[in-house]
Amino acid sequence: MFTISELKQLIEALDQSTVNELSLEQEGQKLKLKKQMTSSMAPSQHPLVYQASPEPQSVPIQTQQEEEATDLNISEPAYDHVLKSPMVGTFYLQASPESEPYVRVGDVIGQNTTLCTIEAMKLFNEIEAEVDGEIVEILAENGELVEYNQPLFGIKTK
Amino acid sequence: MVLSNRERLIQLLSQNMHTYVSGQWLSNELGISRTAVWKQMKHLEEDGYHFKAVPNKGYRLIDMPDKVSENTLFWGMDTRVLGQTLEYHEQVESTQDIAHMRARENAPEGYLIVTDSQLKGRGRLQRRFQSENKNGGWFSFILRPDIPPLHAQKLTLITAIALIRTIKQKTTLQPQIKWPNDVLINGRKLAGILTEMQAEQDRIHYMVIGVGININHRPDEFSDDIKDKVTSLLIETGDHFKRRHFIQDFLKNFEALYEAFLKEGFLTFKEEWEQSAFRLGEELTYKKNKQTFSGTFIGIHEDGALVVEKDGIKDYLYSAEIDWF
Repeated sequence: MFTISELKQLIEALDQSTVNELSLEQEGQKLKLKKQMTSSMAPSQHPLVYQASPEPQSVPIQTQQEEEATDLNISEPAYDHVLKSPMVGTFYLQASPESEPYVRVGDVIGQNTTLCTIEAMKLFNEIEAEVDGEIVEILAENGELVEYNQPLFGIKTK
Repeated sequence: MVLSNRERLIQLLSQNMHTYVSGQWLSNELGISRTAVWKQMKHLEEDGYHFKAVPNKGYRLIDMPDKVSENTLFWGMDTRVLGQTLEYHEQVESTQDIAHMRARENAPEGYLIVTDSQLKGRGRLQRRFQSENKNGGWFSFILRPDIPPLHAQKLTLITAIALIRTIKQKTTLQPQIKWPNDVLINGRKLAGILTEMQAEQDRIHYMVIGVGININHRPDEFSDDIKDKVTSLLIETGDHFKRRHFIQDFLKNFEALYEAFLKEGFLTFKEEWEQSAFRLGEELTYKKNKQTFSGTFIGIHEDGALVVEKDGIKDYLYSAEIDWF
C-alpha cells in the first residue's frame, strides 16, 4: 500500500519530470497519475489529476486513497518561499555519502542554516536558507545535476 | 596585524640581509633596550636562525631554519595581502576547517593557515586526502572577492595555474592539470585543491581554498592503496625543496593571477590552462545524471566548463564524473 509520503514523492517526481502520465501496479493496487500541462505555470503548481483504481477486493484501501487524493488535489503549495540554485552543478543534501542530511522536510531552519551544497568545477558552495521558516518540500534529488535558478527547497517562512 | 618584538626583529634582520645592522639601531627601531634585543637574538639562534656578528658593524642574518613556523613563513613572504596574516600549527585535523572558523570570525582576505601534518585532510565529498606526512605543503587561505558567486568557480582553475607556474619555476617538470584542478605529473597526482564557498545568490561571503601538495615524500611514504597513483616533487626530480619557499612562491603567483583575474576576467588565462590540460584532444567518457556519454575533449569554455564534442555537437561539463584513467 502506498503511504501518503510515497504518494507525495511520486507526485513531486512527476511534477519535476517531463512525463505526463504515470501508471503503477503494486500488490494488487493500481495507481494512475496524470498531469494537465499548462506551460505558463511553475512546476510546483501543476494541477494533478489523480485516479486511484484499485482491484475490487481492496475496497478499504480505495476509500483511504481517495481521501488522500482529495486532500492533495485541493492543497495549495504549503510554502511561500522557494530557494533556487545560484549555479549549475551537482546538488548535495549531505556533506558526504555517509553523513546525515543537512535538513529534512519538517525541519525548522534559520537564516544561517546550511541547506545543501552545490558543486561545480570542484567549488563547493554551501547554500544557506537566507530566511527563517520550515522546510516543506525538497524539490531536487540528492546527487542530481541542477540548473541555474532551479527550485531546490520549498520553505514556509515565519 | 600587530607584530611582536620578535616578529619585528626578524623582519628588520631579513630586510637587511645584505648588510650589517647595529644593536643600537635595532634597539631604537624596536623601542626596546639593547639587552632585550640581545636576548631576542639568543632565542632566535636557539630556533635555528644563524647570524654573523662583527664588532663595530653589528649583526647580519645569514640563514634561517628550514622548519615551517609563523616566523619563517612570514619571513620572505613577498605578497601584498595573501599570507600577510597567518597561523601555523604543527598538527591539525584540517586546515580547511580552521579556515572556515576564522572566516566566520571575520578573518581578512588572504588569511592563511599552514600545518606540517593533517589528520583529517579532506577532498571532495569528505574523501580522505592523505596529508599526515610532514613532507608536504598543506594549507588553506581565505578570499573575499567582490564578484558574483557564479564567477567564483573560475578561481579553482586559477589556483591550478598558480601551482603549475610555481612548479615550472622550480623544476623542469611538465605538470598537467586534470580538469578542473588536480595537478598531475606523468599521470600521477602531485597536488589537490579543494575550494569551498559561503555565498548568497548575488554575494560571496567568503571562499576557502585548500591546497595539498606532495613535496619531499619518498615513494615508501605513501600508503599502498594510493602509491601507484601519486608522486612528489622529490620523487620526480630527486631534489629536496624547502616547503616554506614553495608555499611563499605559490602565494606570490596566486596573488598576481588573482589580481589580474579580478580586473580582466578568466579569458586571459584560458589558454595557459589549456596548455597544461591532461588528455586534451582525446576521447573522454563521462557520466551526467547517471547516463554515460563520450566525446572529444576540445578545451574549456571561458567560464571554465570542460567542453567535449561529439558529431559536431558540443557539451559543456560543470559537474560530471569523468573517466580519466
